[in-house]
Amino acid sequence: MTKDAHTPRMRAQARIIAPVADLLRKAGWVSVAAGLIWPLQAALIAWAVSQWVAGPVRLDLSVMAALGVAALGIVRAELERLAGGWLFAAADETIRRERDALILREARAPGADSSAAVAALAVQKLPLLQPWITRYHVAMTRVRVVPLVLLALVFSLSWVAGLVLLVAGPLIPVFMALVGMAAEDASRRQMDEIAGINDLTLERLTAMLDIRLLGAQRRVIDGFALRADDLRDRTMAVLRVAFLSSTVLELFAALGVALVAVFVGFTLLGEIGFGSWAQPLTLGEGLFILLIAPEFFQPLRELAAAWHDRAAGFAVVEELDRLDAAPRAVMLGQGARVQPLPGPLSIRTNGAGVAYAGTQIAVPDLSVQAGDALVLTGPSGAGKSTVLSALAGLVPCAQGQIEVCGQPLTTDSADAWRARIALVPQRPHFADVPLCAWLDPRGTGMDPAEALALAGATQIVARLPQGLKTRLGESGGGVSGGEARRLMIARAVMMGGDVLLADEPTADLDPETATHIIDALKRLNEAGRTLICASHDPALIAAFDTRVEVGA
Amino acid sequence: MSALFNILRLLLTADRKAMWRGAMLSVLVLLMGAALLGLSGWFITATGLAGLAGVGIAFDVFRPSAGVRFLALGRTAARYGERLLTHDATLRALAALRVAVLRRQSEADGRSLMQLRGSAGLTRIIADVDALDGIVLRLVLPAFAALVTHLVVFALLAWLVGVPVAMTVLVGYLPAAALILWRLGRCGMAPSRQAEAEQQALQRGIIDMMRDREALILAGELGAQEQALMQTDMRARRAAGTLDQADRAAAAQLSALVAIVTAAAFVAGAVLLGRGVIDPAVAVIATFVALALGEAVMPLRRGFAELGRMQDGAARVEIAAQPLADAAPIDPVPDAPLLTLRLGGDEVALTPGDFVALEGASGSGKTTLLLGIAGLHPVPDIRIKGRAPQDWPEAQLRRIVAMLPQRSALISGTVRDNLSLAGDYSDAAMKEVLEVVDLWAALSPRGGLDLRLTEADAGLSGGQAKRLSLARALLLKPEILLLDEPTEGLDAQTAQRVLTNLRRYLPDAAVLAALHRGHDQAEFDRMLRIEPQARR
Repeated sequence: MTKDAHTPRMRAQARIIAPVADLLRKAGWVSVAAGLIWPLQAALIAWAVSQWVAGPVRLDLSVMAALGVAALGIVRAELERLAGGWLFAAADETIRRERDALILREARAPGADSSAAVAALAVQKLPLLQPWITRYHVAMTRVRVVPLVLLALVFSLSWVAGLVLLVAGPLIPVFMALVGMAAEDASRRQMDEIAGINDLTLERLTAMLDIRLLGAQRRVIDGFALRADDLRDRTMAVLRVAFLSSTVLELFAALGVALVAVFVGFTLLGEIGFGSWAQPLTLGEGLFILLIAPEFFQPLRELAAAWHDRAAGFAVVEELDRLDAAPRAVMLGQGARVQPLPGPLSIRTNGAGVAYAGTQIAVPDLSVQAGDALVLTGPSGAGKSTVLSALAGLVPCAQGQIEVCGQPLTTDSADAWRARIALVPQRPHFADVPLCAWLDPRGTGMDPAEALALAGATQIVARLPQGLKTRLGESGGGVSGGEARRLMIARAVMMGGDVLLADEPTADLDPETATHIIDALKRLNEAGRTLICASHDPALIAAFDTRVEVGA
Repeated sequence: MSALFNILRLLLTADRKAMWRGAMLSVLVLLMGAALLGLSGWFITATGLAGLAGVGIAFDVFRPSAGVRFLALGRTAARYGERLLTHDATLRALAALRVAVLRRQSEADGRSLMQLRGSAGLTRIIADVDALDGIVLRLVLPAFAALVTHLVVFALLAWLVGVPVAMTVLVGYLPAAALILWRLGRCGMAPSRQAEAEQQALQRGIIDMMRDREALILAGELGAQEQALMQTDMRARRAAGTLDQADRAAAAQLSALVAIVTAAAFVAGAVLLGRGVIDPAVAVIATFVALALGEAVMPLRRGFAELGRMQDGAARVEIAAQPLADAAPIDPVPDAPLLTLRLGGDEVALTPGDFVALEGASGSGKTTLLLGIAGLHPVPDIRIKGRAPQDWPEAQLRRIVAMLPQRSALISGTVRDNLSLAGDYSDAAMKEVLEVVDLWAALSPRGGLDLRLTEADAGLSGGQAKRLSLARALLLKPEILLLDEPTEGLDAQTAQRVLTNLRRYLPDAAVLAALHRGHDQAEFDRMLRIEPQARR
């Protein structure tokens, strides 16, 4: 393998495994200890059976041996449980660390990935690291120790039996590569199949209203069943081969055990005179070999089963790495609640520009005083929204300066500056909270009636089934686009401050509603708020004195 | 529990034959594993005895050693077959479950279908269905195979070794294993439900935080929101930890149980041996078989640990019990107008060829009225050819009424795939409707009907996607065409062109279009106004 193929793996190792390496090592060794209890149990059983054969049956010895076997079994179970606890802790700690990092970064410095994709990564994909952490490493530790110890034990009793295992054993690593790859492929195929069929289901459900209105339910559902059938056929074709190669692994294990059993039987009959050391093999020794032979193969099979967990883990790490490396617009300041910036209001920009995702957006030179009303115009894509974001310190300037209330807008002043402004974003988003809480993000506890009236939204709330206690959720099911926009304006009013930034406040609205909104904005301006809108709506532009072209 | 049984029935009957053969092979694998260890143990002890007695020559080594080899190979082969068959059966079941869910959702009313789109509810349905996938492969099949194997082994041990030994193994395993697994299922119920709920809350919370970030930052609440999410995460992980603890405890108990039953079987063998009923080679069989039966019991743990999650999912996932039935067609009322409805206090009638705009401020109920006419929402006083929309059989109603919803969804695939949702139409017919909606000129240089729309409507602008959806509805050549904001996202000229073409394409249809932009109304013969009223 080339060095390049190793690098992502090593990165994954360093990122996920290294921080919990101590726990994993501890768990690995305890698990090895548990694995080494089996030879003791096997020895007890073999010894007790040879006692049966040696003379009259002594029930007390049998009971003592049985008690020993049971007690050792309990110890073994408890050791496994202990190791399992550490492994869980290691995985839990890893998931916590990565999840917290995502939570603390994605809103402060958003990249290009959608919120749904980030949420899916944090909640659904991160747990895929768990099997890799808990199963693969412990299987790896066991496979390095347990088979070697068992092999040494068998060799000490019979070199032929040892040789059988030795030949079957190393053949397994040869097949392991094959089988591992095939198992990886098989599990990935199956996961792909499920993912594919889930995507298909999701899409059909999303389009179900259209499908229903077209009277196409049956056609679509039959088509879906057909596609699923086809996907299954193809998956099964791959699985047939993939399972075959893991069957080879089992075949070798089974043949190894069968050969050992037959060899031991023939030796005990005296038909085979070679294979053991000075003394001939006794019944007890024969039984012991038979009992531990399957355990010789067990760790190898566990490792094969855990193989694809590692691949799934790598895939998650790759996505985490990709997100880490993605270009981000880091906000200024902490987003903390602080005292508003003192001094009379003013905004002045001088040669400022934002560099984001490869494009340069120039902030027009502005000079805004308290009580001004300003409309930023320009074709869509010119960067009107970005300019508003820059004025709020939500994206950093690559060059030039923005000066607010007489001081430069920097990381230190951003929070205090934002305490003076409110913003109406372009797209509505209703979090999963009651409307009254959504309207009042600063938690002032004010009665929203006045703000709702100002935004012309009183009727909207009155119509909602539970009024201010309604949870609109997600895309605001239950209110139309225009209603959502008016609620956002009410929210901006509730947020207070003396500057209002509004991004396309009349987009997609009917003229009647748009007039309401423009009136509301005018009232706010007359009441003393400084207003900066981004819009290309002629009615809105006409309503205010100053317009500034963006991207000119 | 009954919800779980309904889904189980659906999954098991998706392909009875495959499922049944898979189950039989699962039993065979376990039985051959037990037989292999039992026979090997007997073989070695018996050869040891024969060797000691000096009668090695007389001992028939051929049959037992052939048996050992046969079982070793046979078990491997059976395992291969079992894996193939159970996976095949599971994939079939998986598709059947999703078909049933789709069917159920296709019968939902218009409002819930609109709200379903792109919501957390949708991802939740998928997550629930996913959780139910394991029910057969991880729970029912292994439990069935374990039970049958134990019973068969009991019969064989009773015959070969003796009833007391067989009883020891059966009574040792079954009640204790059942108790351990039942407790795991019970203890897992609450934490798995909580873990799931917290994870859903976390996922929604992250989306809320990212989409509403401006407001959170401006309000100085971002830090508090992050802390709250980390708390949610902690609760989710804690619940998962409780579940894991129960799972590990059950694993340890089952593992100890295997050792204890093996030891008990050993003592039982020794007792029979002491009484002189059997010889040592036979007495050892039970010990080895009891050991092998651990393989039947241990895998059950995983399925039972997920029981809570499965039951929860089953309670939420709605599936259609029956395939869609065709209602018998009914006749229209003679001489009744094509469409009548009540607006305010007035009765309004639409006749073929009418081109009517429905106007009203946002939220006045335009969409609800259109959904009502399409039979997807209960609205009183609507008559289509003299009958209420609900009285028409679904298939018949769809041939009369077509509707373009406000937010239309396209499916991934080609333009042709999307148009084919309306039915089987010739390329010429498809091209014609694309010309009507003024889209053909834009599509033909990019592959025309074969242009592939990758994800959702990527590759088309919002206005183009809307027009493609309109073309889809036009293919049906309906008698009544309902349009919800058909010109949204279109510039004025395109809007006008599309409306003019549309009227020429469907001269005999009654068209009712909900609009909020005044300037498009010039195309329409008359205007209906809908006044806001309390909804629901």
